Amino acid sequence: MSQQVAHWLDNLLKEIEGIEVRRKSSRRVRVDVPADALPALLELLQGRAGYIHLSAISCVDWIDDDEFELVYHVWSYESHSLVSAHIRIAREPGVYLSVYDLYQPAAFFERDIHEMYGIHFEGSPNMEKFILTEWDGPPPMRKEFDSEAYINEHLSWQEYNPEWLQELVAEGGGVIIPPEEQRFSQKKK
Amino acid sequence: MRPENYEAQRQPPSNEYELNFGPNHPGIEGNYALKVKLHGDIVLEAKADGGYLHRGFEKLMEQRLWIQNIALVPRICVPDPSPMELCYSMAVEELCGLKVPQRAQWLRVMQLELSRIAAHLFTFGGHAATTGMYSTMYWGVADRDLLLDLFEEFTGGRVYSIYNIPGGVRRELPEGFLQRLTETLDYIESRLPDYDNLFFKNQVFVKRAKGTGVMSREQALEWGVTGPNLRATGLAFDVRRDDPYLVYDQLAFDIPVEESGDAWARTLVRRQELMESIRILRQVVEILPDIHGPIRAPIPNPLAWNVPAGETYTRVESSKGELCYYVVSNGGPKPYRVHVRGPSSMHAVQVLEKMSVGSRIEDIAQTMFSLDACPPEVDR
Repeated sequence: MSQQVAHWLDNLLKEIEGIEVRRKSSRRVRVDVPADALPALLELLQGRAGYIHLSAISCVDWIDDDEFELVYHVWSYESHSLVSAHIRIAREPGVYLSVYDLYQPAAFFERDIHEMYGIHFEGSPNMEKFILTEWDGPPPMRKEFDSEAYINEHLSWQEYNPEWLQELVAEGGGVIIPPEEQRFSQKKK
Repeated sequence: MRPENYEAQRQPPSNEYELNFGPNHPGIEGNYALKVKLHGDIVLEAKADGGYLHRGFEKLMEQRLWIQNIALVPRICVPDPSPMELCYSMAVEELCGLKVPQRAQWLRVMQLELSRIAAHLFTFGGHAATTGMYSTMYWGVADRDLLLDLFEEFTGGRVYSIYNIPGGVRRELPEGFLQRLTETLDYIESRLPDYDNLFFKNQVFVKRAKGTGVMSREQALEWGVTGPNLRATGLAFDVRRDDPYLVYDQLAFDIPVEESGDAWARTLVRRQELMESIRILRQVVEILPDIHGPIRAPIPNPLAWNVPAGETYTRVESSKGELCYYVVSNGGPKPYRVHVRGPSSMHAVQVLEKMSVGSRIEDIAQTMFSLDACPPEVDR
């Protein structure tokens, strides 16, 4: 990103109140905004600065702060820079606005976050299950969901110790392939 | 879509019917399904249905040490695993402020480009099979095997090489490896005219792929399309050049583009990329012997490694498009959060759904393979 573009972007971002801009490197900018200012920020970035590519929306569960962090990564094909906009929303009730009207790829990420974290995005075109179709437990990516405890509670472990494995272990275990039988050394030009 | 959960429903008389395309279908890459609504053989509506390959990587990674995750990440995308290792390693390096030695960076480029060629050969095979040309598939898989032999030799693993670790790479090259690499590259290049005659210029394929699954550049940008699929609509964008990592800014390579944005254009872009990858690898072969030094930066005891708190977003260009990792550390021995953004999370879901509408049922497979959509990346 050229100096001029960087300067111009900084000026543009100042139009949003309560914003905190940190330049991490020449092509990475971190922006922290209040949750209600995010749609305005994305609109500015997309409409006036060419950040037309929504690379991803990431969600982080900060259980100790009782908050979810949503990170919107947007990329500009013109200035070749990536802005990551961070917001925090309350864990309960865990509702936020969809940005589908600005960025169509948001539909997938919002649906994914809804499924994994239980955040509802108002205005998102599809909040149905996608990956965990037959799952009726709590949203599994939340920090309070302990997958190991779930397994121990709901499934039982099987003993698997067949004779051939016992013999193998008694002999010292493992399969040894001599070098001349290894595949790459067989290939002779 | 398990049979016990499925109940047949009587519908009012109509010419429309629903069909489950997948999850076990030769026209689908991996295990993935599309629920399509048809009128005759014209698709009226398509709904992607994923989750058959969900293994919960993001949750698992929160429960493993930073170093253990290296064995986990390549498994996210089966046909092109190397960029996964690299992207994760780059994120950890950035969080720790580790500086990767030059030699390791060149070795990483070599691994990535080999992986790209292998992935493209695999895709050509699959794509040709959707038009009934199985010879290309046998050829592609057989030639990919030669690259896997190289992987086995320099990394120890054929498919999941687990070659990168945060700070550099695991092994030095074996004696005489670059010579064998050159021979394989020469061989692959000498095969390309055969592939052209068999597949890329074959009228069976050309007539079928031209005009199938068309998207304009505007649509591609709107739908979040990246990688070769975006370049097939005429936009020369490549993370390797425009958001460079490793030593890609020191390498000479072109970014192939096509204008028509259909299945044919996407395949041609990959065909030309194969040649560019060979070109990059030849530069690596030439330069690598002159770059000496360590292959990895010193790292703390990996079993008691607390990565400093912070967050980072790393991007690389995989064979399918833009691959990103968002990694958050809270200063502990395990990642606090890892989010994987696979390029196929766009291509296999929204893009495929939209492009299937209006096409014929037999074109779905053609469209999916030309997008090189990789379901394991979507399901994670």
